Amino acid sequence: MPKITFALPDGKERTCSANEGLSLMEVALQNALPGIIAECNGSAACATCHVIVEDALAAMLDPISEHENDMLEFTAAARQPGSRLSCQIRVDDRLDGAIVRIPAEA
Amino acid sequence: MAGTFAFKAGSTAVPMISDVAFAELLNDPYPTFKRARDMAPIVRIEAAKIMVATRYDDIVAMERDPETFSSENPQSLVNKVMGHTMMRKDGEAHQRERRAIDPSLRPGAVKSCWGPKLEAVFEDIVARFERDGEADLFQALAAPMAGRALAEVLGFQDVDWQTMAFWSQSLIDGAGNYSGDPEISRKAVEAARGVEDAIDRALPYHRANPNTSVLSSMIHAEDPHEIDQIYANIKVAVGGGLNEPRDSILTLILGLLQNPDQLERVKANPNLWPVAFEEAVRWTSPIGMYPRRVTRDIVFSGVQLRAGDQVGLCVGAANRDGSRFEDPDRFDVFREKKSHLAFGAGAHFCAGTWVSRHMVGRLVVPRLFERLPNLRLKDPDAVRIQGWVFRGPVTLPVVWGA
Repeated sequence: MPKITFALPDGKERTCSANEGLSLMEVALQNALPGIIAECNGSAACATCHVIVEDALAAMLDPISEHENDMLEFTAAARQPGSRLSCQIRVDDRLDGAIVRIPAEA
Repeated sequence: MAGTFAFKAGSTAVPMISDVAFAELLNDPYPTFKRARDMAPIVRIEAAKIMVATRYDDIVAMERDPETFSSENPQSLVNKVMGHTMMRKDGEAHQRERRAIDPSLRPGAVKSCWGPKLEAVFEDIVARFERDGEADLFQALAAPMAGRALAEVLGFQDVDWQTMAFWSQSLIDGAGNYSGDPEISRKAVEAARGVEDAIDRALPYHRANPNTSVLSSMIHAEDPHEIDQIYANIKVAVGGGLNEPRDSILTLILGLLQNPDQLERVKANPNLWPVAFEEAVRWTSPIGMYPRRVTRDIVFSGVQLRAGDQVGLCVGAANRDGSRFEDPDRFDVFREKKSHLAFGAGAHFCAGTWVSRHMVGRLVVPRLFERLPNLRLKDPDAVRIQGWVFRGPVTLPVVWGA
């Protein structure tokens, strides 16, 4: 089972085992991580599951869809180069060992 | 408490509030919501003949479990009046239709297309009354703005706002016509036919000229809508897309006019307009309640529910849940920032969220305060707010100028 480390808004880290096939957002909710609200529960409609991934991971993931790209303009914390909606990232073994940052709200 | 069953700890029965008249619920549902919230996770409100959930965390949990709390309800009056709309579908069936319309409603479309179009509509509407010195903002501004905006976004080029308003109200009334009133049924059928005729008139243009409108998206989607899906989903958009922007325009204006100190601070820092909008829809949520159907026997938050039960998710109550929002009855733009449920939660999260955030919170209300100097309530006692399923000011007389 891939292990993913979330860097939390308060600077702490949490490493979570993640079931393949779930979205990163669902993993964050299962572990009650602060900063992932996920109002729309994975429909990419609310921009409240914003995370920032490192360049290497960003390059590996499926590209950002036009819709996700639009939504990323409306995150509470300002968009950054590695910004993604965690509901749009599926967990697979490529994410094992990844570090994903949950930004503090602006 | 007279007429109220006490809720015993450990009990799994659903307690009841039976001493509240329906008129009270319409005039001011919040005392009843608070009683229900303090009483139990699920409470039956006898006057409305429905069980309701009123706590924030419970509603979020229900919306995260659509298999148990389903939007599907074959017996629903909504289905009889409008057809099988995406609002009453779950899972993949819902997703397919929702995906088809999303390109019309996402932030990119709002910025590039609806922003400028709605600005022109707003300018036209304000020019008609700005020299009068006084107006009822329901009739003068909010109703025409919401109706014309909805016609634009859906792709109706030949439907005036009064017709949109008639259709919307008639479809809503028909969907809530539990007593089977024949006049309400007749109007709902007339409205439904009117919407279908308007769709039939509009489709040839949208077929030949792909554009940003919802009708165009429906027919040009990768997985396009069939005609019956178009009819049903446009009807639900007409029924469910007009009240909310209309009521939230008025609610935001009212909240600020009743709190001049907050208004001054927002005017001094325009970045606060979107925050003020979110606070307005938290404070008086335009959609106060929507139903879900329980699909299996389950003990939820300690309450026994049965397969087939209907539960109303009272987001209007959850948005005033004191365990989440401090001093929840107060309109306070500067309260601690927390997400609310005014746009719902889960897969049915309001499709029109981004259009409304822009139209109400960035365009109509900020511009109105710029255009009408010294805007103030004509008579603070004349303001009337009504409704519990849908709620908003039904009249908002204001004056401006010296």
